[in-house]
Amino acid sequence: MTFVVTENCIKCKYTDCVEVCPVDCFHEGPNFLVIDPEECIDCTLCEPECPAEAIYPEDDLPEGQEIFIELNAELSLEWPVITEQKDPPADAEAWDGKEGKLELLEK
Amino acid sequence: MCYINTLNKHDVKRCEVAIAGRYVPAEREQAFLDTIENPKYERDIVNGLKPFFQDKAPEDIKGFYSPEELSMLSSLHGTERDVESRMPVKMTRHFFEMAKTSKPLQRIIKASPDETLNLAGSEDPGYQMDFAPVEGMLHKYEMGLLYAVSTCSAHCRFCYREELISQKDIERQDGTVAKKGLAKIKEVTDYVRAHNEIVAANGGRHPETGREKLREVLLSGGDPMVLPNRKIGAWLAALAEAGVESIRLGTKEMSFHPNRFDDAFLSMLDAFHETYPEVGFRLMIHFNHPDEFLLRGPDGAYLENPNGSLKWHEDTLRAMEAVISRGWINVENQAPIIKGINDDSDALRVMQRALYRVGVGNHYFFCGRDIVAYRAFNVPIETAWNTLNESQKGLSGVETHARLSITHYKGKTEVVAVTNEPIPGVPGTENGVLIFKILRNALDAPDRGKVCIVGRNPDALWFDDYEDRVIFDEAGLFDYTRVDKKTIEAA
Repeated sequence: MTFVVTENCIKCKYTDCVEVCPVDCFHEGPNFLVIDPEECIDCTLCEPECPAEAIYPEDDLPEGQEIFIELNAELSLEWPVITEQKDPPADAEAWDGKEGKLELLEK
Repeated sequence: MCYINTLNKHDVKRCEVAIAGRYVPAEREQAFLDTIENPKYERDIVNGLKPFFQDKAPEDIKGFYSPEELSMLSSLHGTERDVESRMPVKMTRHFFEMAKTSKPLQRIIKASPDETLNLAGSEDPGYQMDFAPVEGMLHKYEMGLLYAVSTCSAHCRFCYREELISQKDIERQDGTVAKKGLAKIKEVTDYVRAHNEIVAANGGRHPETGREKLREVLLSGGDPMVLPNRKIGAWLAALAEAGVESIRLGTKEMSFHPNRFDDAFLSMLDAFHETYPEVGFRLMIHFNHPDEFLLRGPDGAYLENPNGSLKWHEDTLRAMEAVISRGWINVENQAPIIKGINDDSDALRVMQRALYRVGVGNHYFFCGRDIVAYRAFNVPIETAWNTLNESQKGLSGVETHARLSITHYKGKTEVVAVTNEPIPGVPGTENGVLIFKILRNALDAPDRGKVCIVGRNPDALWFDDYEDRVIFDEAGLFDYTRVDKKTIEAA
């Protein structure tokens, strides 16, 4: 099992989650974060931290978000680890909850 | 200069850390860290009650809660009696397998509506934060205790660090309110070095607090064994480099997921020992009940080997033998005595014998602490003493090293004896007495060995239940004033 960052993180990227991860399994891309499934220990600490409610357990993903299992695994191999919180994008709040953000994912 | 694009992710992290001016490992330390492997451990964790409420738990685990239990628990969900907001619910596949046929084991991890019937208790038992010179570290005389992580593989319902695991806000002595933070390598090792330099420059004692060298560190949490090997290794090496003489690691992983003690972990420990042979390493394990590692037959009796010893679960035995066969690792068991789990002298007798037989020391049994909701878990102090004393009847001396300890705000205190007879001529002893003795003081050393005698109260769960019957108190257990945190920060 692992936890998965889903679509609503795109363009919000609040990074509250990275501070609480005991195993440093968050990786940072230009406008999205992912969890390395090989490192995640299912501790659940990150899930309630996400202001955008974008983190879910793998086996309890909202419908239509299944593709993020693969994206998290794939992108965590490419992107650097992030362990410290930083300021979110200035327009993060405006993007929170918007639909169709997958198209805007920058890799 | 750091060419991030050409490096793997761990190299990148190291560069980033160096750039930010944080902890930089010494050369031999880095050489050790470079040898560490980090496999993924498949614990098959079931998190929370939601999988049960929604009927999504793995097929064979679904029945772990009865429909009646689930309906009670879900009716409390979201109310102030929510069992999950008191303490998150979590279990591993291995523990589930062991608990399937064992009521005592089920009590360890199964949430019960009774837990939140009475929420009286301390939000920070022992005022732990008074002893924290840096976040995530408690300095108690010669020892430092570290909150390395705030979760375990599974969660004991009676956890005495429930405030850390459930991330509750705690009011500190200066009035600030915040969650308990975790220890950071740089801050902790800077503190240890600075404290020990002052001690060394002043003839072996800190000029203001009178404390000796901080020579021992307990890695705790949560359970450090949920961290990857590289993180555990990083702590061990950094503490060794800072001059710590002995490191303890407190874990319940022998019970929750014994396969965590695999070749990759043990190779890491071997490499650590090779790099720092002078540093002692002790594994403080936590078994409450022998069902956590012994096998039972269909008739409920423990299975025996041909030589008469009791048969262990093969994964646990392999893990235990692998650790013990190193020779340089001390393994000690300590556990609280909890209602419905191990307030059973037969179970404790079996456990003490079986553990000692494979080379595990029986260190402390504890009375439950005054955590929030302690009335759901604690047995009376006198009952705990009687249970342990009964369990040790007929055991050999070496099997009975364990003492019953109750953690007074002053420090670890032994429940030495409970008498049934009055002391002639001494008022207040008509029903017998209970004798406490201070084992170690959290702040300094001189009080060790001092005793306190109280008249009996068979219902007493905590010290305050004896307040009206103190007969003799050279230990000062009933004259406790909270430690002034400034005296610790001065260190």
